[in-house]
Amino acid sequence: MKTAIRTTGLTKTFGPKTAVDHLDLEICEGEIFGLLGVNGAGKTTTIRMLTGLSAITEGEASILGLDVSKDLKKIKPLINVSTQETAVAENLTVRENLSFMARIYGITDKEAMDRVISSLELEEVASQKAKTLSGGWQRRLSIAMALITDPKIIFLDEPTLGLDVLARRELWSVVRSLKGKVTIILTTHYLEEVEALCDRIAVMAKGKLRALGTAAELKAQAGKDTLEDAFVAIVEKEGTAS
Amino acid sequence: MKWIAFAQRNQKELLRDPISYVFCLGLPIVMLIVMTIINQSIPAVEGAPQVFRIEQLSPAIAIFAMTFLMLFVCIRVSSDRSTAFLTRLYASPLQSSDFILGYVLPFVLTGLAQIVITYAASEVLALIVNGESLPIGNMLLSVPLLLPSIVLFIGIGILFGTFFNAKAAPGLCSAVITGAAILGGIYMDIEAMGSSWKTVCSCFPFYHCVRYARLAMAGEFGDMLLPFAICCAFTAVIFIASILAFSFKMKSDKK
Ligand SMILES: Nc1ncnc2c1ncn2[C@@H]1O[C@H](COP(=O)(O)OP(=O)(O)OP(=O)(O)O)[C@@H](O)[C@H]1O
Ligand SMILES: [Mg+2]
Repeated sequence: MKTAIRTTGLTKTFGPKTAVDHLDLEICEGEIFGLLGVNGAGKTTTIRMLTGLSAITEGEASILGLDVSKDLKKIKPLINVSTQETAVAENLTVRENLSFMARIYGITDKEAMDRVISSLELEEVASQKAKTLSGGWQRRLSIAMALITDPKIIFLDEPTLGLDVLARRELWSVVRSLKGKVTIILTTHYLEEVEALCDRIAVMAKGKLRALGTAAELKAQAGKDTLEDAFVAIVEKEGTAS
Repeated sequence: MKWIAFAQRNQKELLRDPISYVFCLGLPIVMLIVMTIINQSIPAVEGAPQVFRIEQLSPAIAIFAMTFLMLFVCIRVSSDRSTAFLTRLYASPLQSSDFILGYVLPFVLTGLAQIVITYAASEVLALIVNGESLPIGNMLLSVPLLLPSIVLFIGIGILFGTFFNAKAAPGLCSAVITGAAILGGIYMDIEAMGSSWKTVCSCFPFYHCVRYARLAMAGEFGDMLLPFAICCAFTAVIFIASILAFSFKMKSDKK
């Protein structure tokens, strides 16, 4: 298996605060990788560093063999990110938002649009302006905008936040359909989601990696029956999380 | 041509917002009409102010209209910066030059359209009020000649939008709009207001913009050169500053 993402001693500090603390990760190509952690654990900051949105304080990160600090220009066309906050152009329609995104990544494939629209079931709102969509539909669009550029690696920061049960299931099936083809780094607070989707899970607390493995391995490691109990045991092991 | 996609998005965001028509087109035309009516009611005595005469008024209003362009660029940049939308674009292959071009181009086109519409409205008014046409050739030449002024105001807008948040930026722009009206001599004759006031006005670009726009309308292209050159110098400085500011902010946002 080829390595898609490797971090060694990846660290981010904001003044006296250490948001990510010497993180060592190796994520394989085609893997669906879950990042778990309580609020403020450093998940978003990790994604921001890996996508060049935040400078790395210390340590190294490489994506598809390219150094994030040096080769960002080469990396950017290969990745995409669905940020924790919904990010769409308000006065553009769903279709226009998608084609805008495709064009800035230099994607000319016309079928990509239809594919993404149908996989996230955006047909019925395709010609509606983004600002007239409900929060959950905007969220779907925001995710679709990350999928349309056909990235090798996709970062989904709490993608299912604000989605109804049906929409969440749809997104799960989209993520599953990408399994093996696209490397996906996914953060979420829903443990059933990681269990349903992720090949491996990293649990972070206070910026540090606390556990790493499949759902079954994490449960065994913590000696618990459910992932939720295992998660709680892991993050509470060394004092209460911030 | 990634920046064109971004420029088109900005153009759509502007043109699909009804408020931009009210300010960028409606207000200048209303001002033109109102001031012409006021001028009609002033008895035509010796030494009455010239600035309300349509051939003096319309170039000044054309410049004034650009201040709203500034406001809308500023709102666009500052509100993009306040949402995750720009974050997502920062992660995309767009570079800082793509951002600048993408912000500037749609507003330049809108600015040129503003001039054409303002001058067309002035021509109609001139025919109604004075019964004679404005110098059409001079008006046509004015359109490209006013380009540096458009870029100047867009530059100020980008500068403010870059440094101030979506709450503070529009307020600051309003201050500049008022300042431009007073210091530019849009509705008063700065030449008649004493040399010290004129010196103050000369320190800002607005006075020079209005002056050269009026001279262009009058066809006095020789006299126009100096204020035109001064305006271009201001434009160059402000525009370069806005590019540097945006690129700097883009980097520092990545802290
Ligand atoms: N720009 C910043 N300036 C200062 N501190 C920051 C900044 N961004 C993040 N932090 C801090 O870094 C820590 C990690 O934040 P981060 O957003 O990565 O957490 P998270 O795991 O994504 O949390 P959540 O589940 O709430 O999204 C937090 O303590 C946060 O306050
Ligand atoms: Mg987060």
